[in-house]
Amino acid sequence: MTESKTLTGGALLFEVLQEHGVHHVFGYPGGAIMPIYDALYDSDVKHFLCRHEQGAAFSAVGYARAAGTVGVCLATSGPGATNLITGLADALADSIPVVAITGQVPTAAMGSDAFQEIDIFGLSLACTKHSFQVTDINELEKVLHQAFEIALEGRHGPVLVDIPKDVQLAEVTQRLDKLSHLKNKVKLPLADISKALDLLTHAKQPILYVGGGVGMANAVEEVRDFAEKTGMPSVSTLKGLGAINPDNENHLGMLGMHGTKAANLAVQESDLLVVVGARFDDRVTGKLDEFAPNAKVIHFDIDTAEINKRREADAAILGDLKGNLPLLTTELDIADWQQKLKQMNIDCAWRYDHPGDNIFAPAVLKTVSDLMPSNTCVTTDVGQHQMWSAQHMTFDDPSNFLTSGGMGTMGFGLPAAIGAQISRPHDTVIAVSGDGSIMMNVQELATIKRYQIPVKVVLIDNAKLGMVRQWQDLFFDGRLSETDLSDNPDFVMLATAFDIKSKLITKKSEVKAAVEEMLDHDGPYLLQVKIDAAENVWPLVPPNTANDKMMESV
Amino acid sequence: MNSMTLNKYQLIIMADDKQVVLERILQVTRYRGFLINGINAEVNTGNNVATITMSVSSERPISLLIDQINKLIDIKGVKVDNSEVQIKQHSA
Repeated sequence: MTESKTLTGGALLFEVLQEHGVHHVFGYPGGAIMPIYDALYDSDVKHFLCRHEQGAAFSAVGYARAAGTVGVCLATSGPGATNLITGLADALADSIPVVAITGQVPTAAMGSDAFQEIDIFGLSLACTKHSFQVTDINELEKVLHQAFEIALEGRHGPVLVDIPKDVQLAEVTQRLDKLSHLKNKVKLPLADISKALDLLTHAKQPILYVGGGVGMANAVEEVRDFAEKTGMPSVSTLKGLGAINPDNENHLGMLGMHGTKAANLAVQESDLLVVVGARFDDRVTGKLDEFAPNAKVIHFDIDTAEINKRREADAAILGDLKGNLPLLTTELDIADWQQKLKQMNIDCAWRYDHPGDNIFAPAVLKTVSDLMPSNTCVTTDVGQHQMWSAQHMTFDDPSNFLTSGGMGTMGFGLPAAIGAQISRPHDTVIAVSGDGSIMMNVQELATIKRYQIPVKVVLIDNAKLGMVRQWQDLFFDGRLSETDLSDNPDFVMLATAFDIKSKLITKKSEVKAAVEEMLDHDGPYLLQVKIDAAENVWPLVPPNTANDKMMESV
Repeated sequence: MNSMTLNKYQLIIMADDKQVVLERILQVTRYRGFLINGINAEVNTGNNVATITMSVSSERPISLLIDQINKLIDIKGVKVDNSEVQIKQHSA
């Protein structure tokens, strides 16, 4: 037991946060959370005032993903709480450990349609891993510990704790042990390892299919060791990028809708998929019935519900990937397959010899990737620039590429970069955004200004909602509906208004020097990169189509 | 006329008697594509364990729903028809 002392609910919150190693939180005050903000005044926890609660939630997500820890955000009741929801949904979709604290109207007023009252507890059911509403001060400490434990237990996820104002003000002396372990916690049974080994050793054309669960399981080292010792060619999901060593010559890049041709063709030809921390997402598989049609499946996952959800596993290995994957690490005789895919990788290599003077976005992102320091953390928003980043940038760890994978949330990149930069103050952090996405949380430039957060923003500007425009061109007969953004603000002037150094480039001859200037700048920087609005992301697997029937251009 | 074939299942769910546990089960059941044909819930006040009996139908395999209900934090176990209780599994 720790030493007892009398605290208000608000003060107790910060005591517990510090017990869990939380030094930074993101939030926005308001009426029903004022006692917590009053307690913050005396706390050693550093609070970052975001300019919208969604920004606070995404900064907490970025913080968690970049540092491999729990991110914490605060919001008041009603609109403050509802503004968190998109961030929590994003964290749920991408399995990110976040603890969200919301203020609530006093218990006596609950259920009376009070000012700024919303049933955030009810709203949280579909967008959190778990949620609590604390109506008894004597329960608060236990619940807060449980929130952290649940966020990190098994498959990570967001947890919301709703605290009425009177509970924040109430005093309590109760002190419990730091952790109250979850009930029913038992070790997951292993599937038949020998069956998986049999599948592995008989495979002639195996592929290692790497997902975001690898980074979350802290199993990058084990996966790299497996890839190296087996010599197995590998592909990555969007969230799995960075897990395989960038120098691994058997890595084929990202698979799926905008995956590399080599990755998609190799998966389609494979006779065994070794799936690590991935879930056969629809953006990965294309037409599910025709995905890797001849492959057996060995599926490693922490979440029982992912096994057989979209693709039947021939061997399922549940539990901690870090401990389980080494059980299958063995040498394989697949030299012919390796050689075939190495040649395919060469034949399908990206080309950057784009004609004309206009800037070619893939080449810009390749330049940024080549010039950025090691261990740079890159965040993205959602759209064409996101896919180009995944295709043309190289990451040396999954925690160095933060993108909204499952939810695909525009507005993610800028606040996530703020969170990442605060968690890793000595690393370079770059937010790659689009002119549509950046406007979704543009108010967070004020957060950058306030704290002088040295985030670099690469704004790929085609004055369009580019990905939607691309699909309208390809699949809706060119009927461009509400995708023109040619009346965007002057982004350089906008950045200047927030005291952020900025530059606009329009010609490919300007790219290298501008990227160097951005990276050399000591503070925040916004580089606006004008590109041709007609550029598309290639290759593209059309909807409900097998991955080997990708479009490469029109 | 709907030609979809629905399979019917009877679930018996054991849960800690916590806030909104019933709402959580209902939300997951609807979201995962199962229709609720009937439900009964009782609480043993001695051990604070709720027993929820629920009839559901869907064209989807019942294992998909069982796995998702089992993931809910307050669930102790799910039993289908007369089969064995599928014990909740957590990582170590």
